[in-house]
Amino acid sequence: MTAVTTDVAGADTRRAGRWVYVSAVGLLCAWVLVPLYFLLINTLSSPETVNSFPKPFIPEFDLGSLTFFANFAGMLTALKNSILVAGLTMIMSIVIGAPAGYALSRFDFRGKELFRLLILLTRAFPLPLLALPLAVMFIQTGLDDTVFGLALVHTTLAIPFAVLITFALFSGIPLELEEAAWTLGCTRLTAFSKVVLPLILPGITASAIFAFVISWNEVFAAAVLTIENRTLTAFLLQNLDTSPLHLKFAGGFILVMPALIFIFAVRKYLFAMWGIASR
Amino acid sequence: MTLHSRILGAASGAAIACTAFAAQAEVLFWSTQAKPVEEAQAMREQVLADAGDVDYQPNDGGPWLTRLQAELQAGSGTIGVLGALHGDFSAMNPDDLVDLDDLGVMSASGTFNDLAKLGTGSMQYIPWMQASYIMAASKEALQYLPEGADIDALTYDQLIQWAANAHEAAGEPKFGFPAGPKGLKHRFFQGYLYPSFTNGVVRTFASDEAVTAWEKMRELWAHTNPASTNFSFMQEQLLSGDAWIVFDHTSRLAQAFNERPDDFVAFPAPAGPTGRGFMPVLAGVAIPRTAPNMDAARALVEYMLKPETQIATLRATNFFPVVEVALPGDLPPSVKAAGDAVAKMSASADANPGLLPAGLGDKGGDFNRVFVDSFERIVLAGHDIRAVLDDQKGRLAAIMEETGAPCWAPDAPSDGACPVE
Repeated sequence: MTAVTTDVAGADTRRAGRWVYVSAVGLLCAWVLVPLYFLLINTLSSPETVNSFPKPFIPEFDLGSLTFFANFAGMLTALKNSILVAGLTMIMSIVIGAPAGYALSRFDFRGKELFRLLILLTRAFPLPLLALPLAVMFIQTGLDDTVFGLALVHTTLAIPFAVLITFALFSGIPLELEEAAWTLGCTRLTAFSKVVLPLILPGITASAIFAFVISWNEVFAAAVLTIENRTLTAFLLQNLDTSPLHLKFAGGFILVMPALIFIFAVRKYLFAMWGIASR
Repeated sequence: MTLHSRILGAASGAAIACTAFAAQAEVLFWSTQAKPVEEAQAMREQVLADAGDVDYQPNDGGPWLTRLQAELQAGSGTIGVLGALHGDFSAMNPDDLVDLDDLGVMSASGTFNDLAKLGTGSMQYIPWMQASYIMAASKEALQYLPEGADIDALTYDQLIQWAANAHEAAGEPKFGFPAGPKGLKHRFFQGYLYPSFTNGVVRTFASDEAVTAWEKMRELWAHTNPASTNFSFMQEQLLSGDAWIVFDHTSRLAQAFNERPDDFVAFPAPAGPTGRGFMPVLAGVAIPRTAPNMDAARALVEYMLKPETQIATLRATNFFPVVEVALPGDLPPSVKAAGDAVAKMSASADANPGLLPAGLGDKGGDFNRVFVDSFERIVLAGHDIRAVLDDQKGRLAAIMEETGAPCWAPDAPSDGACPVE
């Protein structure tokens, strides 16, 4: 009799636990998806519908707002610039960040802890504070209004993430693997490229994605440091906050979409990184 | 070749390659106005289409100023023409702007031309366009107008009664006030509430009349949609029906009139014991001393002041001309509505027009802060009015003394810094 009761109680607990689990997953998905869905609906709605309440759940496929942006002068150039800057940022932050992460995880040197802390400091100062001296220097050196110049600034912002993520990843790969490779005739370099690198590649890609997103989302430096070569975010975001509601939605949609597509395209690397990091 | 020089080489190579892509526009028009995407588009396609090679770039205030300061500090720049509000220019050092007296163009208003001198002897910017703040209401709300009230000659008491009636009828407060982070609430206090109750702004800041004004503000707030602390563009709440009766900048109400012209009315701001206070908004164009092509920049400034450009600007931005023009008959509904309301307001028997704060330099933001803080403490937090005003009075007096700004209308003129009495 007692046994049966415990059993029923156990099943109840399991069912309750399962219910909590499922609803937590559902809630988290809705957390991300519902705003995106509303963004989509409102983008594809006429201005009247956007201002009305309650909102419909099915888009009415009114392309007015999107057509407006299609005819908005300079959109394509801005999109191209955004991709160029984000791409350059991605490459540079990995080229600089990954070796730093490797060094931090493999070598002991004086001031290592201080270095780890200092690297975070690049995020400690708000950009509006740094933008003025930066812009003056950029104008004087000719880096002003170039894709490369802006990518340099964005790289600085992305490097803490690149270093700390790769540091965590390299630390997750046992030094013994490398030592084994050395005993089997590898040099330090070949051991790295043949053994460590393949293991770490998905993680590196993931930190590259962070760099991409950081660059994509950055407005202030982009608005101050570029004029002809504006990024999409600098080009649109400043003007959106004062625009009518339906154009806010459409503009937001246009800003979000490329980043979403990019992340979707490289998602398997992102998941792979979680695999490594949680090991 | 060291690694260092290699990196430098690569950097400059990439930089040159990137600059090569950039199309060199003749004049960069660096503006804080006409920022909403539709207005920016209209500026580019309609207003500036015949102005030659002009690159119109509207910006937030922060990047606008930072970029400008960077160019001034670096001593070379790309910005040709600046477009901004009077307050933006007055916060700048007049030496950084080119004197524009010899251009031969100016606004039709002597007051505006004087403001544009920024306290120097010559024009530092040229008045470009003007606007004002008005009231607007949904036609639905008209039935709740208090008995005997004329919508074109409301008093503050009638407005409060009206808001109360609408509140009762709708079951929720329907007055809308732009008290959001980007809202222009401080202008309501400086240009409307204070002049209407105290016939002053600075001198009368902590007067007994000011206490009455804030009491009225509290009464009005009781019938104001509490979400107003999130509202910055009242056109949105008019369209969505969250507010029936609102106060805002003419161009921040335009969309409502243009989308549903038959559903809304525009009308003058209310009057208090000392008249119907109201205030203009003035934007100007200027040339920074670092402009790369001075002649092209001057030509663009002249172009902006042409009557036909001014009318095109009115259509694009809902800002009115500053020169004498004959307005065409086919203007958008928002322009007609706002134009009528402003005309009625200035022509009313009890009109008490104020001026923009002048001579505050870069303390303009602090000056606004005094009013916003008073509002937040008195109306939102419910602090004692007398205590708050006496407290804020010190800050206001310090700002006036530090800048030495003389009084502006409707305050009585002063010798030296405007005193807080």
